[in-house]
Amino acid sequence: MAKDTINLSVNGIDYTFSIGDNFGQVPCNETLLDTLRNRLNLTAAKKACDEGACGCCTVIKDGDAVPSCMTLLADCDGCQITTLEGLSDPVTGELSELQQKFIDYYAFQCGFCTPGIIMTTKALLDKNPHPTEEEIRDALSGNYCRCISHYHVFEAVNAIAGRPEDLDEKWEGRR
Amino acid sequence: MKNFGNENYTPENYKYVGKVNVPRKDAKDIVSGKAMFLDDYKLPRMLIAKTLRSPYAHAKIKSIDTSEAEKLNGVVAVVTYKDVDQNMKMGWPPTKPILGEELMYVGDPVAFVAAETEQIAEDALPLIKVEYEELPAVTNALDAVKDDAPQLYPDLFKNNIITPGYAPFQKDGPFWHLIKGDIDKGFEDCAFIAEDTVEFAKMAAPNAPEAPGAIVRWEGGKNFTVWCDTQSGHICKTLNNIVMPDANFDVRTFNVGGSYGNKQSQVMQVMSALILSMKTNRPVKVFQSKVEQMCCFETRLGSQVHAKIGMDKDGVIQAVKGEWTVDAGCLSNTTQGQVGVGIGEAQLVMAKCPNWDLDTNLVATNKQPAGIVRGYGGQELNSCLSLLIGRTMREGNFDPVEVYKKNYVCEGDVYTWRDGRQWQAHSVNYVKAIEESSKKFDWKGKWKGWGIPTWESEDGTLVRGVGCGIIGNADIGEDNTEAYVRVVPDLFTDKSRVVIQTNITESGMGQRSNIIKMVADVLNVDYDMVDITPPEIKINPTGFGLCGSRGTICYGHAVSSAAEDVRQKLYDLAVPFLEVTTDSMYMTDYGVATLARPGKFVSWKKLIPPDLTLTGYGQHLENFSTPNMFMIFVEVEVNKETGQVKLVDCLGGTDCGQAIDPAMLEMQVQSGIGSASLDTAIYEEHVIDPSILRTMTYDMIEYKWRPFNDFPTYETCVLESQFDTFQFKATGVGEIAGAAAASATMQAISNAIGVQVATYPATPDVILKALEKL
Ligand code: FES
Ligand code: FES
Repeated sequence: MAKDTINLSVNGIDYTFSIGDNFGQVPCNETLLDTLRNRLNLTAAKKACDEGACGCCTVIKDGDAVPSCMTLLADCDGCQITTLEGLSDPVTGELSELQQKFIDYYAFQCGFCTPGIIMTTKALLDKNPHPTEEEIRDALSGNYCRCISHYHVFEAVNAIAGRPEDLDEKWEGRR
Repeated sequence: MKNFGNENYTPENYKYVGKVNVPRKDAKDIVSGKAMFLDDYKLPRMLIAKTLRSPYAHAKIKSIDTSEAEKLNGVVAVVTYKDVDQNMKMGWPPTKPILGEELMYVGDPVAFVAAETEQIAEDALPLIKVEYEELPAVTNALDAVKDDAPQLYPDLFKNNIITPGYAPFQKDGPFWHLIKGDIDKGFEDCAFIAEDTVEFAKMAAPNAPEAPGAIVRWEGGKNFTVWCDTQSGHICKTLNNIVMPDANFDVRTFNVGGSYGNKQSQVMQVMSALILSMKTNRPVKVFQSKVEQMCCFETRLGSQVHAKIGMDKDGVIQAVKGEWTVDAGCLSNTTQGQVGVGIGEAQLVMAKCPNWDLDTNLVATNKQPAGIVRGYGGQELNSCLSLLIGRTMREGNFDPVEVYKKNYVCEGDVYTWRDGRQWQAHSVNYVKAIEESSKKFDWKGKWKGWGIPTWESEDGTLVRGVGCGIIGNADIGEDNTEAYVRVVPDLFTDKSRVVIQTNITESGMGQRSNIIKMVADVLNVDYDMVDITPPEIKINPTGFGLCGSRGTICYGHAVSSAAEDVRQKLYDLAVPFLEVTTDSMYMTDYGVATLARPGKFVSWKKLIPPDLTLTGYGQHLENFSTPNMFMIFVEVEVNKETGQVKLVDCLGGTDCGQAIDPAMLEMQVQSGIGSASLDTAIYEEHVIDPSILRTMTYDMIEYKWRPFNDFPTYETCVLESQFDTFQFKATGVGEIAGAAAASATMQAISNAIGVQVATYPATPDVILKALEKL
């Protein structure tokens, strides 16, 4: 039987949502992405294709990277959700190592795909701290980046996976 | 400390320019999710709008009944063509009403709904009852110009040929036909001639990840505040003023989630929100779905070229005769400018050619609008002409690198640019960049001759081939630009902050931060102490945004001049304190010092009256004399059994004058693979069902794009020759990084399989047909 309340944790904070069609309730067809963006004001995850093809809305659900546009809130009862907003220190704003690597390696251009790419990467690294290049490519294969930041994303993720390209060497005389 | 400040613009003096030592100003916001995009923004009482769209490529609305939709709880307004002034026309010349009785493509707006929520607006659409009268449609530009073709705008255009010329770009009159020299005589002198019709007409989708959208708030009268995900607030305003000439727009932008030249004018988004905002007296938001973006927003231009190109025995192109048919879809959104640039770019590639007769026809068809996309007409024409240049090279058995080296524009060459005026190339010479790039790619080692693979697997199934392409654009100096640089002393410390006021929207190229680097270097201050105003057209002076790689020269020139202006003012004010002439002064530690009297120093704060600021002004005036250059080399592997093409290796080569931020430049170079560029040769295309004329590639599942696990190796070769462009001797180059990539890839494919392929994209069926296996 369908439940009429949904409990979940987003970035460590617990929420309870009432499912229904009345004002303020969450309709049973509402996606996790809409809940995050419209109800919780967590706008890092982006709505781009809204059909599971581009990865811009990726969040972590119980350890797995999922497209939140294809996930119903109603299916998230008891789940732990992490969004990009949950990666940096909530008080100081200090970035996680992964986020910092994306800055160090210039791993974005417009940045619209970046929240999804970082979350996909985070889920991969949580399970497999030292992925091979192929594992990184495969993990990210559902993330669309039209600006072509791919090469720099690989550099950033490789760095954290234990294969850092020496930036001082790469940009010798330019630092 | 470097003595920077005495017009000493050389790389060793720069602390930030040319360095990879500071992150983009918005870097932390982007990686933490704090960066604001249009869809993240809300206004009180904001309504959401949705659009009912035409199911037919050409139809007339026989009847429309909105009463049921209006009754739906939460619907605030429904508008149809009956509610909209039919003189509010978009396009150039003004062509098509925002909502019309006649529908021109599958997806053309029929009605707009504004509702309290997106869901309600969507639910209202099917409640609108429409009866259509289907009309004959034409979706191919060459058919559209025939006498018996359906006429889209019979009162405006004959044979669907759109009036040439775009006045703001072409002040001396329309420019659409290049005639130079003696074309017949030119061909007589040629040893090798190729003539054919070539198409680049699949009108691929640039598909920025963030869809087009706008929020409009009517402020009474003809005043509107517009929040839009345009990459240029100024262009958005200008093109919307074509529809409503007396409207007073205040256009504001956020970070833009990719544009690639594509999300600029946004007339339909702005105008639909505007009409609904006036009707409801509430702010209204329009944000396209991905399917709308794919099927109703601007694509690449369709390009069909019949041309004849002649080359002399030394490999120099001597004559070009051509007819370029440009498919603009259902209307021209200043495509006339793109036609002008396309003709210009062709001349840069064939710069030694004295004889030209290159004519163009801009044609309306029953398809979604085509428009501005990175490459701006040049890519669409180049993708065709380069194949014919290739055939002349092949006949003469020339190495393409050598031919491009001989023919590409350099200092002294004269060309006609998009304004119809003659320009002479100044300061630039790209021979060295071409040579170095070719060396780094090992072109000589890989190139075995025309139609000869570089490598073949033992069983002959897999073959590899290489190709190269070159392109350039003189638009990097386009459009007049202004900037202010303001010195703002701190109240309680001896330091000052610097504020740049200029209109730049960040859409991925990092140029907001790049001009901060320039100003920080001119004033010798920390990068962290320089701020830039938000991208809004009312608070900033004129700036067309980052189109056509104009950012580096135009904004660079304007802000560097503004910084120099304020610096000179500070020097003048410092004379009584330092008791020396200004020519021995320099900037240091938020103050002025002098070489003439070491130890003397006065802070800016002391020079500026309390609580006030000091402002410098700078401008850039349009100049088309320093075209850029980008050369791309590609290696592909073709499976002769399956017809599959795999991109194996790329090298992008250029000479950018002075790199402002080498890491960002590297990304701009690599980005030529994206935005419907290189892959338009391999798999990117829009496919239209020939019977119902609907776009079959309507979403990101049907439309083919390159995923993360399918990227080739990519090397870059960037020279920095310090061209005479502006203070920092740089040029912009990002726009054209992919513009010659499709033709280069076609060349590589043809060389791999030994058969010339000229159908974009070279999908497996195209390859197998070429190999006569289908
Ligand atoms: S928006 Fe969810 S996958 Fe594209
Ligand atoms: S950085 Fe723009 S789409 Fe990836």
